[in-house]
Amino acid sequence: MKNRSYAPIAALIALGLAGTLSGCSANKPANLASQAPDLSGVWLGKAVQSLSMSDPMAQKPGEEGDIPYTAWGLAKLKGERPATGPHQTFENTTDPALRYADPDGYPRASIHPMRFKIVQTPDYVYQLWEYNKSWRQIALNKPHSQVPDISWFGESVGHWEGDALVVDSVGFKDASWLDPIGHPHTEDLHMVERIRRTDPNTLVFHFTFDDPKAYSKPWDGELTFKLKPDGVMTETIYTISDELGFRQRFLHEKPGIPIRATQ
Amino acid sequence: MKARMLVLGLLLTGIPVFAHHGGTSLYDMSKVVTTQATVTDFQWTNPHVEIGLDAKDASGKVKHWILEANSPPVMVNKGWNRKSLSAGDVIKVSFNPSQRGGSVGRLIKLTKADGTELGGSSISESGDK
Repeated sequence: MKNRSYAPIAALIALGLAGTLSGCSANKPANLASQAPDLSGVWLGKAVQSLSMSDPMAQKPGEEGDIPYTAWGLAKLKGERPATGPHQTFENTTDPALRYADPDGYPRASIHPMRFKIVQTPDYVYQLWEYNKSWRQIALNKPHSQVPDISWFGESVGHWEGDALVVDSVGFKDASWLDPIGHPHTEDLHMVERIRRTDPNTLVFHFTFDDPKAYSKPWDGELTFKLKPDGVMTETIYTISDELGFRQRFLHEKPGIPIRATQ
Repeated sequence: MKARMLVLGLLLTGIPVFAHHGGTSLYDMSKVVTTQATVTDFQWTNPHVEIGLDAKDASGKVKHWILEANSPPVMVNKGWNRKSLSAGDVIKVSFNPSQRGGSVGRLIKLTKADGTELGGSSISESGDK
């Protein structure tokens, strides 16, 4: 990842923290959780295939009109073979989450048509996904690491601005796709989210993606989720043995290694 | 069981709301097979739930099929659980057959002997049914 200054972000976070604490007694620790909007619950999103707000079902990838590709970014997208969209292929896909059972990474993890849970504490907000039992933490009112690690889910810090949790994320491993249609990113991706509970049953994540090698200017995406009051979370962990077994049964492919039986 | 197999030409337009396993690259979405069948196996598994069944073809010969549905969490959202089907259950089932022939398919929906209807692979925009 190239060097990038996070000073403005740190200043913003400090301002947010100061604002949050300003009404509190010096002798009484602020109960930040009680002052913050409640995002907790189990949530399920729409079955979109692309983060393009003009083409959420990925019917015209690369020509959506609302994603400002660089030549590199467009070539990268066009060079992928996703398992969705107008030219989908499952057998020969280049989708890393299917071909290698790689983690979805973020924000793709939230696009899987499965649930996630938000757990909120004074210092952290956690997202826990059904799919692959993966999780992400958002550190509240803290600066980024001096040298953020490169990881599938990135490093996220956040603060409250009114009813919105504003999350700043960096350090994303470039092997993941942003969404199932294959929108690319580099390790320089800088993502800002505004997460709002717009009504008791609706949670909206608004994204701004800034990644100069892949996109000529920042662009926005949005995902909406509905509350699932039953709270049910079901395990699904996608493994290499599952994939090899599926391909043997449905495509009659001979696995290169012995596979275990299902269940 | 008096089984009949009907092949319906149902032309679907647009992009189906599913991906990964069970996409149009594997199945002929222009065809729907509807038949009575006997469940031989029900696997509540990843990546997708699988149903083994025997059904008679037009000539009366029994053919074994394996159908895929969707992932367990998606099926839970649609009202399924790991005991929704058992070997020996007689069902009416609709599915998209494989693009390349053979005996695999993608579940659209099924109806159990008691009238219970269970949805299949597709996911609506709401993510639920």
